[in-house]
Amino acid sequence: MTLSAADFAFVSAMVRREAAIVLAPGKEYLVEARLIPVARQVGAASVGEFLANLQRRPNPADQRRIVDALTTNETSWFRDREPFSALTDVVLPELVRTRGANRTIRLWSAASSSGQEAYSLAITLQENLPAGWSYEIVGSDISTEMIKRAEAAEYSQVEVNRGLPAAQLVQYFERSGAHWRITPGLRRNVSFKLMNLTAPLPAMPPFDVIFLRNVLIYFDVATKKSVLRNVARLLRPDGWLFLGAAETTIGIDDNYERVAAGRTSAYRVRSAAPAGAARKG
Amino acid sequence: MVIDDSRAMRMILKRIVAKLNFDAVEAGDGQEALDLLATMTEVPELALIDWNMPNMNGLEFVTKVRAEPRLREMTLVMVTTESEQSQIVRALAAGAHEYVIKPFTEGAMIEKLALLGLVPTGANS
Amino acid sequence: MSEPVVTEGDLAEMVEQVWVSYLDPEGVSPLVQNGEVKQPTEVHSTVSITGSWHGHLVYASSVQAATRAAAAFLAMEPDEVGQEDISDVLGELANIVGGNVKAMLPAGCFLSLPTVVLAPDTASYYPAAERISGLYGTWAGEPVSISMWQSVKQEASA
Repeated sequence: MTLSAADFAFVSAMVRREAAIVLAPGKEYLVEARLIPVARQVGAASVGEFLANLQRRPNPADQRRIVDALTTNETSWFRDREPFSALTDVVLPELVRTRGANRTIRLWSAASSSGQEAYSLAITLQENLPAGWSYEIVGSDISTEMIKRAEAAEYSQVEVNRGLPAAQLVQYFERSGAHWRITPGLRRNVSFKLMNLTAPLPAMPPFDVIFLRNVLIYFDVATKKSVLRNVARLLRPDGWLFLGAAETTIGIDDNYERVAAGRTSAYRVRSAAPAGAARKG
Repeated sequence: MVIDDSRAMRMILKRIVAKLNFDAVEAGDGQEALDLLATMTEVPELALIDWNMPNMNGLEFVTKVRAEPRLREMTLVMVTTESEQSQIVRALAAGAHEYVIKPFTEGAMIEKLALLGLVPTGANS
Repeated sequence: MSEPVVTEGDLAEMVEQVWVSYLDPEGVSPLVQNGEVKQPTEVHSTVSITGSWHGHLVYASSVQAATRAAAAFLAMEPDEVGQEDISDVLGELANIVGGNVKAMLPAGCFLSLPTVVLAPDTASYYPAAERISGLYGTWAGEPVSISMWQSVKQEASA
């Protein structure tokens, strides 16, 4: 069975919108082959049924599954590079100046998937925090399967080839059979929590830095607003929010302002509102 | 410069670097690569180097290149199936700048070259 | 006998990585396992491992599957593929899997350069070795297998 023209159009429009990837006509077989496991995973009888359900009742989790399945699903280490450079060059020096009292920094990798971003953050902090400082990284994802993978911290050969400098591979990973596993020293500082960003978020101590990258693209405007509002409650008043390159708070949530951070931009809660004061919703 | 005793692997690597606008010369082992370098007036910017090859292996080649002032500017990337942690450490200690383990996807190779500043912006897509 | 040093699951994962990297980057034509140990194969590519562990890794397939692999690697049409292309590509495939397997063995092993033979049947080439794990299946309907053979110590052979 091959995909109907309408289903193919639906999928290619979604992938173009959300990942800027163009699926040329003639790739129906590819879409079908890649979506068979996804349809099975969500309990649909066929790819056709899966897509029909999704068109009737859109849901971001399934959309993300499709985009992941069609856009070689390996996440890179230090993905996009720039936010990590901004962390090293701009954010950490400032935090080191302002957090001298407790010398600890908390970061959140929201939608952490298989954990590459959370561990990339850990490597960055490990290498750039002065002696005597500590850090804590929380990764969150909507999928229990992804949380399990991220906690296992084991990556295949192909996965560790993606954007990870060899010097860091030998320093922060150890061979575990056919895989590479993050060292206990690094894992100790990273934990993962099951979390749905569109639902009320669990109580957590606030974060100094939040990476919420390539997540908002999956949501409609109303949901984007509520996610950004939820996240703002967990961001320290002088904290930093990093979004994906194609995402912004502008026109969605005026409580944030865009600021330059190295060669990229980050978002900070407007300083007009004193820390702890109620902000307009 | 692409150095591998497998013609198939040389072809794959040449295809990838061609996308980044590199013209590649090929050698089938370390000795052949050194001989070729001796005849070249312009030293290549980049060498992708297999480890296990007849005559002279990739590690010996890296060591010899590092000892040769004329070749100092060349960026050396091991591209090999040797995947023990200790082997990666050896290669980096000998002077390799990066290390790519086979099998690698085209995207992974381009990302590694981007780490070394060898990918023009916009080419990585 | 205890769990082999390299399991079928390990081989399956390496195969998947080789396929996604070179033979099937679009992810539409995987190796489908069938467990048929006795399926006929005509091309055998071997790398030997020596040092702290002795044995071989064998990549075997039909001529058609070997031709298809060579065509994928070399970006050629299958009808342009010659015997030398097959030999080169299958040699590299065994080398890639062999190198990754070696990293799972005790430290201090060495990998030989690959040897490719176009002739039926494999067992007769390794009279002093026994198979410790293997992955058998088809790729686009053609037989392909990857197996690990451990040398049998002299005193242990009957």
